Amino acid sequence: MIAIETHNLTRYYGALRAVDHLDLTIENEIFGLLGPNGSGKTTTVLMLTTLLRPSEGTASVCGYDVLAKGTEVRKHISYVPQDMAVDIKLTGRENVLFYADLYGVDNPKDRTDEALGTMELSDRADDLTKTYSGGMRRRLELAQALVHEPDVVFLDEPTLGLDVAARKKIWEHIRSLKKTGMTVFVTTHYMDEADRYCDRVGIISSGRITALGSPPALKARLMKDVVTISVEGECSSLQEPVIEGTEYLGCTGSDLSFTAENGREALPLLADALGRSGIRIRQMSLREPTLDDVFLQVVGQQEETPGFNEQKFRIMLRRRR
Amino acid sequence: MSAIVPYIRRDFLRWGRGRVAVVSTLVMPAAWLIFVGLALPIRFTDNYLDFITPGILVMTMLSAGLAGGTLLMFDKILGFMNKFLALPAPRENILFGKILFASGRGILQATIILAIAILIGASVYSPLQYAVTYLILFLFGILVAAFATTVALYLDDHDSLSAFNTMITMPLFFTSSALMPYDVMPPWLRPIASVNPLSFAIDAVRAVDAGMMPSVQIAALGLLSAGVIGICIHVFRRTTV
Repeated sequence: MIAIETHNLTRYYGALRAVDHLDLTIENEIFGLLGPNGSGKTTTVLMLTTLLRPSEGTASVCGYDVLAKGTEVRKHISYVPQDMAVDIKLTGRENVLFYADLYGVDNPKDRTDEALGTMELSDRADDLTKTYSGGMRRRLELAQALVHEPDVVFLDEPTLGLDVAARKKIWEHIRSLKKTGMTVFVTTHYMDEADRYCDRVGIISSGRITALGSPPALKARLMKDVVTISVEGECSSLQEPVIEGTEYLGCTGSDLSFTAENGREALPLLADALGRSGIRIRQMSLREPTLDDVFLQVVGQQEETPGFNEQKFRIMLRRRR
Repeated sequence: MSAIVPYIRRDFLRWGRGRVAVVSTLVMPAAWLIFVGLALPIRFTDNYLDFITPGILVMTMLSAGLAGGTLLMFDKILGFMNKFLALPAPRENILFGKILFASGRGILQATIILAIAILIGASVYSPLQYAVTYLILFLFGILVAAFATTVALYLDDHDSLSAFNTMITMPLFFTSSALMPYDVMPPWLRPIASVNPLSFAIDAVRAVDAGMMPSVQIAALGLLSAGVIGICIHVFRRTTV
């Protein structure tokens, strides 16, 4: 079954193209949309959850068009934004029951108990949410999202600001949701998490999908080893080094990355070549490829979020809120 | 309708648990009642408390209604709004819930103010008179709350909204017929006061106290409320998708 399908999905904020002709087909899976801040992840989610009107193109969720059948789409989905919006003066149970009532489910009380149980919050359900940790609040939001048994769950940066243990727990819950038959669409900028938990990922940069596939398949696009070399000074000013048997991936800060079929043999070659061009090497390391390397290859240097654009910011607020 | 109730219940639960907020909103109107109603040396009436009570009741509804806008603003800022908008229930329920909650809370606050007024010597009227008074106050609450939520939808941040609320509250109150009747007002104030929506409500409550049925004012308040709700829905649809 196709859960989400987009065709030429595009969104402009004024002259800025936040999402650029996106074509995606997502089936029953955990799909991760990866990208740096400001790459169009949230805009994509907002359009798929019917909170933002696409400028061009179409999108459908569970077979319903997001523009023409908004209410039907909303019946079949849940959306958990990044903000962690739970009422701290309400108990966990009240927070979930509120959504059960809003969704108009049968037996709201039972469904609330069930959802709280699934998220392992039953024993703290009657405490005020004020006393919950960040991870618990996030799980409470997941419980709110589960209460009407949606087909597709949209999670925008679900692990943002959580500690390692809480992240792991959230991801395990996301996996168990998928086992019950839900499709999970998650955005994140943590490549390692996506690598470990997503069935398929799409890397988005400046509104365009630049790589799409399962994490192993994406990593297989690189050669067997990755060599990272720390050099003195910033590496962005350097010329792209061409060394036989290796392929240059890109640079972040003062780290140059190469991929090689045989890393051990490539190490001295690289050192020699860089030394000849007068670059002073501080450190070299050899490891297996990660999604970060794939990202570096397809997107290039991770730029910092572009400066604050008052006009764009105001338009975004208008549209989003 | 059933999908509006959860929104209202949520706001009442949250309000009831913030004890400071429950009391603090009552301090201002109670202070007016006691320190102005009992203390001001007035010559045009021998019971100024009876005269000023309708004004204070309407003032209570005014601040309660404006607080509805602030609540909506916080829902917007804190991300609740986006979660609500992604629900299948009709999206306008978010507005109706907020407007009804703000007016309902205002009615509770007005009841306490009314009790204080009676306690310190205001006249007691018949149940029918109180029923009509409550109807007027409720309609006025709806009007203000709908107006405040519209402004909250339009503005981007909480600071602008609270500045806006501060800007309009006192001028509206002082240019109404809350503190003095039209015949003792300076001539320049009379036309302003007679078109001030606060005066509509205040004059209507005073008419009820005097044993009359202010049908015209009630109809005017009802029409105004309906109009502002219409604008509110329009702005809502335009700002959200």
